[in-house]
Amino acid sequence: MRKSRLIAGIATALVAASTLAACGSGGGSGADDDTLTFMFRGGDDEKKAYQEAIDRFTEDTGVKVKMIVTSADQYAQKLQAAVAGNKVPDVFYIEQASLQSYVGSGVLMDITDQVAEQGVDLDNIWPYGVDSYRFDGTTQGTPDGKLYGLPKDIGPFAFGYNADMLKEAGVDRPDPDEPLTWDEWLDICKKLTQDTDGDGETDRWGTGLNVQWNSQAFVWSNGGDWTNEDHTQVTVDTPEFAEAIQFIADLTAEGVTPNPEQAQTLDTYQRFMAGEIGFFPVGPWDMSAYNDLDFEYDLMPWPVGKTGEPATWVGSLGIGVSNTTDAPEDAVKLATYLSTDEAAQQTLVDANVQIPNRIDTAKEWAGEVEKDDSLEPKNRQEFLDIAEDYGREMPASFTYGAEWYDELWVGIQPVIDGKQKAADYLAEVQPRMQELLDQSIAQAEQAAAAGSAP
Amino acid sequence: MTSTATPATADTRPPAPDPAPAPPRRGGTSRLHRTEKRWALLFVAAPVLGYLLFILYPTGFALYASLTRWNGLGPMQFIGLDNYVALLGDERFRQTLFNTFFYMIGIPIGLAISLALAVMMNRKIFGRAAFRAIYYVPVISSIAAIAILWQWAYNGDFGLVNQFLAIFGIEGPNWLADPAWAKPAIIMMAVWKGLGYSMLLYLAAIQSVPRSLYEAAELDGAGGWQKFRSITLPMVQPVTFFLIVTQVIGGAMIFIEIQIMTPTGGPEYSTASVVYHIWLQAFRYQQMGYATAMSVVLGLLILVITLIQFRLNRRNAGFVVD
Repeated sequence: MRKSRLIAGIATALVAASTLAACGSGGGSGADDDTLTFMFRGGDDEKKAYQEAIDRFTEDTGVKVKMIVTSADQYAQKLQAAVAGNKVPDVFYIEQASLQSYVGSGVLMDITDQVAEQGVDLDNIWPYGVDSYRFDGTTQGTPDGKLYGLPKDIGPFAFGYNADMLKEAGVDRPDPDEPLTWDEWLDICKKLTQDTDGDGETDRWGTGLNVQWNSQAFVWSNGGDWTNEDHTQVTVDTPEFAEAIQFIADLTAEGVTPNPEQAQTLDTYQRFMAGEIGFFPVGPWDMSAYNDLDFEYDLMPWPVGKTGEPATWVGSLGIGVSNTTDAPEDAVKLATYLSTDEAAQQTLVDANVQIPNRIDTAKEWAGEVEKDDSLEPKNRQEFLDIAEDYGREMPASFTYGAEWYDELWVGIQPVIDGKQKAADYLAEVQPRMQELLDQSIAQAEQAAAAGSAP
Repeated sequence: MTSTATPATADTRPPAPDPAPAPPRRGGTSRLHRTEKRWALLFVAAPVLGYLLFILYPTGFALYASLTRWNGLGPMQFIGLDNYVALLGDERFRQTLFNTFFYMIGIPIGLAISLALAVMMNRKIFGRAAFRAIYYVPVISSIAAIAILWQWAYNGDFGLVNQFLAIFGIEGPNWLADPAWAKPAIIMMAVWKGLGYSMLLYLAAIQSVPRSLYEAAELDGAGGWQKFRSITLPMVQPVTFFLIVTQVIGGAMIFIEIQIMTPTGGPEYSTASVVYHIWLQAFRYQQMGYATAMSVVLGLLILVITLIQFRLNRRNAGFVVD
């Protein structure tokens, strides 16, 4: 009896002790001192490509790296938990939109000087990519700001088409340099939309757009924008903006895109891959899946509105370094390696998940299609044109948080369903967005003040 | 406490023979008492410590955080009651509060169905054990898996629910994409998931009703309905009370099924619950201070509602929870 009580007592004490220990520890950065931790997100393809790149890094430098990978939608939450628990990974992905708050909170390290020491030619990296992670305390994306990260990649969001379907319908391939107007494009969409098996239901559509990710191209090309130049005034209630949103909504009414029920059953991405949709957006990350399709696809400029100029967004994800890392030099080396090293970049480009970060490599990559006819997409140059010429950042990339921007999408469905006019909805949502943007500006100012105070 | 001869180190190996000279009379009992007491304190310490660390400290921390502007990463900035003032004007918070209480319509519906099921399962019907198991399966299944399955079942075009309705010539709505039907859809799923648990508790309660009551009622000529209304129902009232209290608390914190079935908070935010809204503010928009203020309000609401329930319960029935 004594003995069992003793054991019970020890067990209790152990539980209590370990509880205390768990609370007491923390600090430090996860793994052993000589191992870097790298936290990122992505699917299997990406994980494999990164594993390869990192193995080579370890071989070259002798620095061991522990990879922590999460799914895309859990990443932000996990990273925040890691920061709150004082276990910031040494190197990690950072979103454009959260850069300012992470800098303000002292989580991200200013790597301007260390990167320069590495002897990297930043002029050979897409300026949009590098500048996205520059921040001068008030403005993000300016070439004069301090560097708080390097681009993992940039993602020019291009427009594409099913070349086989166009050919079958007797439509010429769209000219890579001469964009279609909205009306010309809509006509082709109507031609493509068909009931191929004659059961009375449409089973092939001209296109299938998602307003949240595709409307930027239409709004911008029509001369509209989400905010004014310095991101202080929400301008979604302009006629140009409304016209573009209405155009997208009317595609459903015209029947050239799957209706909401059909899109819910099988989303338009799947339908494009199944060969049921003519025109569809293509991001660089889509290439690994699209290259295996049993039809030919290619890229084209987005259809143009009033301005006559194509437009679209360029995404980017950055690689940042923790302010509290034990090995700042190695950590910066890893970030630089992943972002700019030729061999590392080649591994990622070969996996068809991104376009090269290095401009010279990217030009070579786009030129390869001339020599090898089997490569897809033929018009790789379109990605580069976007990166160099007509791509822009997402509306909320450089604001403090994206709540004001998300607000637009919450109630947009009735517009797409044709139950509400775009202009009416936009007039109604503008004040709410403005209020949220004002809040975000106030937060940015407070964060800047708090950051400089101590 | 009186013994001073024992060096402090002896405390670390407690049950060793106590070297302190014990008074001869009360020797056995007092020594036993002392060691027992020490052990008791140690055992009590574990939960108390746990309570302090995991309940009291976080609660106090949350109360403080709710008075600050804080993005969850950087320093906190004390702003007094600003968050609570902002909350009063937050249309989305009101909307999610409404949604959350709307979901609670499912609680009485679920209780009625599970009581009916429990009464049936109490009879000697064929395959009783199998039925009991079948109704209990959703309870032990992962809520995430269930939410995904129901998401498919609610698909507007090919979902099981609409296919079933089509048999009767009813054209079902596009459940989760229709602002009018998304909430009822989630209620149905929640009722279905909770049936087994409530049924099991009701079954246990029904079976512990003394047979003599029914026999006496039968002698007085009571019919089936009368027996149910005047004996079964009042006798299972404690269980009903327990279920309502726990389900209201659980219902106020509904989140996982919402987040999985309608990742954007549903059409026009029509399915977003309070906790969903809190989660969004805290982790997507990095307004941890504001989100904490919302959770404090939610916690207070739950507390008040529960207190009211206890009060009502005491008045309506003799049953009292101590």
